[in-house]
Amino acid sequence: MSIAAEIEKYSDVVVSYLDRDGYPISFSTTMRYSEGKLIIEKPPYLNPPKKITVLLNHITPLPTGGYTDRRYLMMKGEALTEGNTIIFKPFKQYGWDEKTKPFFQYCEERVPQAKSYVTRLSKALGRQVKPRLPTLQLLFRATRFPFLTATAAPVLIGVGTAAYLGYFDPLLFILTLVGASLIHLALNMTNDYYDTKLGADPANITPTPFSGGSRILHYGLMTPKQLLSLIVLFYGVGIAIGLYLAFLRGLIPILAVMTTGVLISIFYTAPPLKLAYRGLGELAVGIGFGPIIVLGSHYVQTQFFSLEALVASIPIGILIMLILYVNEIPDAPYDKAAGKLTLVTRLSRENVLKGYKLSLAATYAVIVAAVALRLAPPTTLIALATIPKAISTVRNVAQTYGNPYLMIPALASNINVATLTGLLHAAGFFLWALISFTINL
Amino acid sequence: MNVFEEAEEIMENALVSSLSVVTPSGEVLTNPMLPLYSRERKKLYMTSSILFSKKINYIKQNPRVGVLFSGRPFIKTPRYSALHVKGDAKIYEENLHSGWEWLVDLWRAKEPYIEAFIKQRVALPLFWERAVIEIEPRELLLWPGGDFSREPLRWRA
Repeated sequence: MSIAAEIEKYSDVVVSYLDRDGYPISFSTTMRYSEGKLIIEKPPYLNPPKKITVLLNHITPLPTGGYTDRRYLMMKGEALTEGNTIIFKPFKQYGWDEKTKPFFQYCEERVPQAKSYVTRLSKALGRQVKPRLPTLQLLFRATRFPFLTATAAPVLIGVGTAAYLGYFDPLLFILTLVGASLIHLALNMTNDYYDTKLGADPANITPTPFSGGSRILHYGLMTPKQLLSLIVLFYGVGIAIGLYLAFLRGLIPILAVMTTGVLISIFYTAPPLKLAYRGLGELAVGIGFGPIIVLGSHYVQTQFFSLEALVASIPIGILIMLILYVNEIPDAPYDKAAGKLTLVTRLSRENVLKGYKLSLAATYAVIVAAVALRLAPPTTLIALATIPKAISTVRNVAQTYGNPYLMIPALASNINVATLTGLLHAAGFFLWALISFTINL
Repeated sequence: MNVFEEAEEIMENALVSSLSVVTPSGEVLTNPMLPLYSRERKKLYMTSSILFSKKINYIKQNPRVGVLFSGRPFIKTPRYSALHVKGDAKIYEENLHSGWEWLVDLWRAKEPYIEAFIKQRVALPLFWERAVIEIEPRELLLWPGGDFSREPLRWRA
């Protein structure tokens, strides 16, 4: 865009300088670009000094109140006054245009400014000043609570496969769900702790509700010590429930499954393994949320492992892995810069999308194959109902690939496909169990 | 209507203003800001998120500020005049979390959706940690009709 056209984008031009009384003074004027010079009209009775600033400002007022279309450009420079005109030579400029930089990104870029302000204020007031959120909102954000659906689906599939084989204890199911959920929430917080410590989250200036972490530590809403205490608490209670179930239902198998799950959840981002940083995070998540949770939940109910549960764990493992995989797309440039070499950072756009499509196809293929091999009841085919949604999600991901904010609906849609498919798959097992139970009455 | 009364009407109805502060090196920096005027207190208020807090630090070092109200589309008064306020600013930052909330009534008049944004503060927690800038007008310069080619009308405290 030419300089003249750039100036036209703003509805107000404000010239400011330090007046003789020590107060800043400003006037509104016009500016034009002519023969390589920025020319500003000045009132005859005002005599700006050599150093001036020029603010180009624009908003579009809305008929319903408020405004939109915000942009400004601040220029510092030297003024050469000739009669009632100023020839302005800017030497520094900065600004913001919400059309080219979304407000969320603009705010994210300023987080270091907020942190240094809070540090200075704490020193000046002699007490620690911290940004705050109400406790429930803080916990909600710190634990990334809505992602719990990723645990509920595999637990339900594990319990569903057990019900399909004739075993169901609601109390054990609730205990399993609570235990696995607590470990999942601890995993989310561990992930944030290390991603902040290792620089991946602070490097990310375009986080979305689904990517870029909870940012609790990065924003200073919690101290690392507070977050660690919460992590220990959540792991502690989750493991305690697991131990209780192990003593109750089978010490060695349940301990083995739980230990593997907990270790995967910790070393997903924690050193020395940092699986997510080595391109192994996706596989770890697939195993953790697939076979580990499904087989564990199944064993608690039945006290044995079954081929039915193992096969049923594959689609949900892939689907939860795909939540992570697609959520990694907006984070990829920052992850790469921070040395977090996720699978998405290692592949080209085409290969990422190819991998996405193939994984989704494999998910549905396994669901169908399990029925064909009589390892799952035909009612589980209800999970195929999400195929149209999956197809449109793939299209949306491809269309918005790499644009963090435009991707948000596609990221949400991908999560919905994963959870809904998982829940329908589980429902298929429960439905068959219910039908069998009714027939046998 | 005298200069002060007309200035009050402008400050009360302007959607945006240009706040100029002085840096320690004597430079003037100008930022677009939402002005909130309290007739009761006869003072102009603005809030600044800690994300954009440089101006707060400059004001603390030099409280002399200038605020320009210009641009016909931004000033919702029947009669348009441009206004420049020279004033002394004070920063209130003891309670960043909610110390600014008493200004929401004035804010709503300018941005009717403000409460819906505030309800979503969990999404942008640092944006809603805000210091209050209170400006006591010392001198007002009024340009009737927004005509800057003529000397302004003046009011001094």
